[in-house]
Amino acid sequence: MFRAQPMSRVTLWLLASEAADTALLLARHSVFAPVLERDERMPEAPAERYREVFQEADSRLSKILEHYGGENGAAAGLAIAPPIPAAAVAPNLVELSELNDWLKALWQTCSATSLAEQRIEEERKRLAALRETFARLETLDLDISRLFKLDSLLDARLGQVPSGNVRRLKESLALAGYLLSVFDTHEGQAFAVVAGPRGAEEGMGGVLSQAGWRELKVPEELRRHPEAVRRFLNLESEHLEASHSGHRRAISDSLSQYGERIQGARVQLALARPLAEASINGVRGKGQLAVFTGWVPKQALGELTRALEDRFHGRYLIDMRAPRREENAQVPSLLLYPLWLRPFVPLVKSYGIPRYGEFDPSLVFALTYLLLFGAMFGDVGHGGVILLLAVLFYRKLGPLAWLGIAAGVVSMGFGLLYGSIFGYESLIEPIWLSPLHDPIRILTVAILFGVGFIVFTLLANSYNKLSAGHLGEALFDSSGLAGLIFYLGAAGGLAGEAAMPAVSGLSTAAWSLALIGITVVALFKWVETPATLGERVLVTAIETLETGINLFANTLSFMRVAAFSLNHVALALAVFTIAGGLGTTGHGLTLFLGNVVIIVLEGGIVAIQALRLMYYEGFSRFFNGDGTEFVPLKLVGVK
Amino acid sequence: MSAYLNTRVSLFAAHLWPAEDFRTLLRSPEAEISQVLMEGGLARLAGLVPGNDLNSLEQNIIAQLLDETRVLLRPLAGNARAFLLYWTERFEVTNLKTLLRGKMGNERPATLLNRLTPMGAFGRLDVQDLAHAEDVAELLRRLETGHYAGIVRQARQAFEDSHDPFLLDAALDRGYYEGLAHRARALEKKNGPALRRLMGSLIDRINLVWLLRYRFNYKLPPAQVYYLLVGAHYGLSSASLKELSALGSLEAVLAALPQGLRQSLADAATIPEVFARMERAAAAEAEKVLRSAAPDCVRAFAYLILRERDLRAVRAILRGRNLHLPNAMIEHTVGQLAQETF
Repeated sequence: MFRAQPMSRVTLWLLASEAADTALLLARHSVFAPVLERDERMPEAPAERYREVFQEADSRLSKILEHYGGENGAAAGLAIAPPIPAAAVAPNLVELSELNDWLKALWQTCSATSLAEQRIEEERKRLAALRETFARLETLDLDISRLFKLDSLLDARLGQVPSGNVRRLKESLALAGYLLSVFDTHEGQAFAVVAGPRGAEEGMGGVLSQAGWRELKVPEELRRHPEAVRRFLNLESEHLEASHSGHRRAISDSLSQYGERIQGARVQLALARPLAEASINGVRGKGQLAVFTGWVPKQALGELTRALEDRFHGRYLIDMRAPRREENAQVPSLLLYPLWLRPFVPLVKSYGIPRYGEFDPSLVFALTYLLLFGAMFGDVGHGGVILLLAVLFYRKLGPLAWLGIAAGVVSMGFGLLYGSIFGYESLIEPIWLSPLHDPIRILTVAILFGVGFIVFTLLANSYNKLSAGHLGEALFDSSGLAGLIFYLGAAGGLAGEAAMPAVSGLSTAAWSLALIGITVVALFKWVETPATLGERVLVTAIETLETGINLFANTLSFMRVAAFSLNHVALALAVFTIAGGLGTTGHGLTLFLGNVVIIVLEGGIVAIQALRLMYYEGFSRFFNGDGTEFVPLKLVGVK
Repeated sequence: MSAYLNTRVSLFAAHLWPAEDFRTLLRSPEAEISQVLMEGGLARLAGLVPGNDLNSLEQNIIAQLLDETRVLLRPLAGNARAFLLYWTERFEVTNLKTLLRGKMGNERPATLLNRLTPMGAFGRLDVQDLAHAEDVAELLRRLETGHYAGIVRQARQAFEDSHDPFLLDAALDRGYYEGLAHRARALEKKNGPALRRLMGSLIDRINLVWLLRYRFNYKLPPAQVYYLLVGAHYGLSSASLKELSALGSLEAVLAALPQGLRQSLADAATIPEVFARMERAAAAEAEKVLRSAAPDCVRAFAYLILRERDLRAVRAILRGRNLHLPNAMIEHTVGQLAQETF
């Protein structure tokens, strides 16, 4: 719980022909995180082609499933993901390529249908717009035949063009001796007649299609009257609908024909995915040999080797070793937590992932965060409301609800210690103290807690430096043991000066300790600064001074814990004062709204402040958080 | 924020290469090229030498430009930010064209993906999905549901009608520059004549060079040539573009240009020469704006124009050296890119 699981670097040599099955086996066990290893003896990428084919097939399958989505797909059982049989093996490259070819052929059929459907839809819209246009022309009782009348001199066309292109098209057509006249506009489309001298068509080139012109080709026999055109449009719509029904039938037929095979393809691709994914991180090889390199949790090695032996009967070579110290930054961190701690983990991860070998602060974070929250927001009533809300919205909040429950319980606990219920200080006797009545004591406790917390962070940092092999920093740096000695000495000295009875006799010894600590820190800075004499003096002086200032500023920062506990009572008093000047209804309403404000506003601020104390005063002192999470190959379900 | 951008642009302006640096790069021994690039603030390119795989070189030049644009964008908001963001979309339109050409040539998705320029945070295309489209028609349909729908929609129709890849490219380019001019118009009122001068030199060059290419290389009729030009007018008005589109030869077009342009392009015998002269004039204009007290966002735009010119000149030198071309030839090519360079 306090550090990542021990890892082993595993290199697995095997036959390239068995690479897909190996990746599948590794994925089934979910314990192998592939990693790229450059090895000149293994210059080839044997799974590269496999990955390309997989991606093509996978993309086609997604499009096919999308195409067959909806009712038809559900009827054919596509809505249910088929299970992956336990004994299933991964397809090899030839099988995968065949599957890809089949999916390609199927998608081409689907795509043609899809394109036809899209065109039908576009045509539907166009006809609807035209119908409206002609309905307007009909009321004018215009002799439309005059527009389309074919003669030897005039080339006239009726059609539509996006309204935004009309001006430019008009200007362009003028260069070819053509005229454009818009007679209606509808939903961004202009309906127009284009006319020019017959024989000058070449002068237009492709300008009409460039401008998005769609011509309405009305048969000659219908070019008489708007009524005739309307009949023509109705006929066109009927054709369209018939065509649409035909396409829907074709989709349904093809689905009943191919549904089972599509389901099979889904399973095959799920089985092929592990090798395709492993190859991204570099499955290397040469000739008939493939090599997988990656990290495996030490405790899973036994089971994994047994599974490899059962499946490949010695047709492999495995090499395992512990990570080298200099590799720590590259080793992924596998962090296991008990169920109750998991809701707190995202808050730690939002700062960073513990590096392999680094102290994992999740448990300390959970306990300290709750403690700080409770101390700043101690109230039986308000804590109870938070608890109640977290329980009520348990399903919606998911794991986050546990955070709310824990925060509520701790808040209630501190409420009992402070003797506070919804801000009332007189309903119950405080078990410990009332912050408002004993502010100095609560401030002292907050600072002492801060001292303890900072001592812990310095110890944790020394441990981290030591496990990373930085002995000098662990012992002599400002955040190491020397810094700790200085801090403890100075804190003790100051306590003695403040005449704290327990330590007053030790004041001189404490200051001596502080002096030793800060001298060691200064010497270390001096040694570690590769610069000219002047620069060294300057850097050493400033950094040593900064050590002292920072440690004490960070300690004083914990005064906010006491300040917020006082603030909580003060806010409640303000609510009571306002409510006291109002009538019965106003009084009740003010108390209710005041408490809502305290819970939402102050509760939110306190939650952020506690987080800020953890991140800034705590994590920044010892936690690198630059690790990478252990992400093993996994056999994910079918698409 | 204005002070920040002002300082940033001034600091970046110091990265622009003086003519001497190009000469040094051209004449340095092979082993010292990396060092010259490092000293010139182009560490990203230094790693590619020697060998400089052309694709990586292009990708790294664009990555460098995108990195600097990201820094310049930080303090910007509203129209100015939208304008500079849109300026980066040129590279993605190039990706879009690469995807379309790749699909026309039945290229494998993996090969196609390798040829695309990584756009990082500026990327709006789902390139994985698009590279796996079955053919051009499917690719265009997918594009129509994304960020570039406006540009692609009409290009798709033009392509479906003609199946001419040239017209597809022309429609995409036109769509992009119309969008740029539209965004510039929103800024021009507030940012005075400096942006108008920069946009003028850019759009006039694009319109004139396209007009010459479409008319005399691709033999398109005047009506279509005019339609394919950018519908934003600066030095070259709509009336003069119409008139120029109808003319029958390069000489006639150059002779009919407005006074200023006619003088600067006098005696230009080829379209590449027209392009080079206009690009040099645009760079000179950008240089003036960069060194002036123009609004910061306009100076940032001027810097990006000049930086791109520099990086392309560096690319030309590295490419030329890689192909073992004579120094004089490289000098000539780079000299076409920027008069001040040599």
